Amino acid sequence: MRLFRDAFRFQAALTLRSPDTVHVLVTAPLYTVVFMAISRHAHRTDLAAYAVLAPVLMSLWSLALLTAGDLISRERSRGTLEAMVATPASFPVVVLARITAVTTISTVSFVESWLVAWWPFGVVVRVEHPLTLLWCLVLSALAMAGTASAMSALYVLLPTARTLQNSFTYPFYLLGGILVPVSYLPEWLRPLSRLVFLSWSSDLLRSALSPAPVVDELPRLAAIAVLGAAGCAVGGLMITRILRRVRSTGTLART
Amino acid sequence: MTDAVETRSLRRTFPARAGRGGGEIVALGGVDLSIPSGSVRGLLGPNGAGKTTLCKILSTVLLPSSGTASVLGHDVRHETLAVKRSIGVVFGGDRGLYGRLTPRQNLQLWGALYDLHGRALSRRVDELLERVGLSGRARDRVDGFSRGMKQRLHLARGLISDPRVLILDEPTSGMDPVAVRDFRGLIGELTAEGRTLLLTTHDMAEAEAVCDEVTLIDNGVLLATDTPARLAARLSTLERVEADGVADDVLAGLSALSGVSKAHRETGGRVVVHTTTPAATSEVLALLVSAGVTALRTVRPSLEEVYLHVIGDRGMLVSP
Repeated sequence: MRLFRDAFRFQAALTLRSPDTVHVLVTAPLYTVVFMAISRHAHRTDLAAYAVLAPVLMSLWSLALLTAGDLISRERSRGTLEAMVATPASFPVVVLARITAVTTISTVSFVESWLVAWWPFGVVVRVEHPLTLLWCLVLSALAMAGTASAMSALYVLLPTARTLQNSFTYPFYLLGGILVPVSYLPEWLRPLSRLVFLSWSSDLLRSALSPAPVVDELPRLAAIAVLGAAGCAVGGLMITRILRRVRSTGTLART
Repeated sequence: MTDAVETRSLRRTFPARAGRGGGEIVALGGVDLSIPSGSVRGLLGPNGAGKTTLCKILSTVLLPSSGTASVLGHDVRHETLAVKRSIGVVFGGDRGLYGRLTPRQNLQLWGALYDLHGRALSRRVDELLERVGLSGRARDRVDGFSRGMKQRLHLARGLISDPRVLILDEPTSGMDPVAVRDFRGLIGELTAEGRTLLLTTHDMAEAEAVCDEVTLIDNGVLLATDTPARLAARLSTLERVEADGVADDVLAGLSALSGVSKAHRETGGRVVVHTTTPAATSEVLALLVSAGVTALRTVRPSLEEVYLHVIGDRGMLVSP
């Protein structure tokens, strides 16, 4: 836990000194402008919650994937990857902590999106259940980091994994119910969607903004936590196995 | 004295890339190496000789193809964690640091990776910054540092876990002469503390100055291991004679002697005679004395000359 905390703190300091790392703080408000403009044009201001939440989740997910990949490739080009692997620390824990730091900082994009809906469009999206929103955002950030850590394992193995990374964005926006609710997806696709933690996150975040009482809050939070933990476990296992493999092939530092 | 580092028949191969006829590239071809505890061992060899491969295996980031390697009695293949805890690695050059952060933040990360946290970590970071002379720049960004300062930070990073064995890869690269002198002093302190150092370098003067023993490596094979002085003495055939006030006809006579490989006059007028046998050296000295030359001396080969003699002067050519 202390390793996680120190690696988190280190990455937070590095991120604050490298603002380009959190480019979502620029892109999320721009997405919000687009979605709010569409909903206004369609006279559907009731969809404002979607317009505010979708950019946040999209940005966080793409950032988690990007960070996971960049973390490995940057350490490689910086010449620190081998030195890091040569330490007794658990590399999967270090990776997870560092991705979590970036996604946590990036949850600030929710505030930005909310402000964009309010200022240019005059729509005040009320947070009816702030605690639910807070818990859901925190758990989603953790789940994203955990799931994305599996991606970083691929980067250890394949320096060209960026192409794969790109293909993990839009399918997950759809499966995760970010752009449209899961209930709008074809019936055969819904069970698959429920295996993606984003679908639980997006539903619960929308519930947190709705005046209606939040139904089954704890089980839904637990679903995010369990799916995030599963992603984390898969990521950890993959990183460990792949590190063993590259020790044998001698390709750890290869770019 | 027990051995801190020991390798037996250590072999590492890599598959040859397409277009190079298949097969395999031998990076290390059955290396037997023993480094006694508390000593400084220099590892000298040209690019592609196998130095880095050996260091990577010892630091556990690369597995041997066959043979064994151990650090403080721990096998690098099976007791990885114990090896990681007892070894520190120091790289040369500008890479290996987080330039946008301060040296303190850099060291705090590496300390955490070696299970140092809280006050113990802060204390250790302060000690090391003081030791490498960077405490006055602890709050500055590393990317504004000179190369020499970065090297000192590299060294501090390698020492963060207080390792008993330290691998130094070109540690004085880019340092100014004063920093190099200080670094050599630091090496002395580290060995006085009982640490074992493996130093890869191309700087012969550095190897002569700080190493107890030097190992020459090329094409994945160890060519020789000895103290710098004994290594030079082994090649006493490379001895040369230097003399002042030598007339041209005497120089011609020296060139004609058997066992003299080369005799020439340097810009300042000094004559340098290279011999290939001890007997030839005696003949050269006798001829010079009989010609009335009194300002003369014999010179043992430097480590650089030994290196060039054993490895061969291959210019910029890298081993396949």
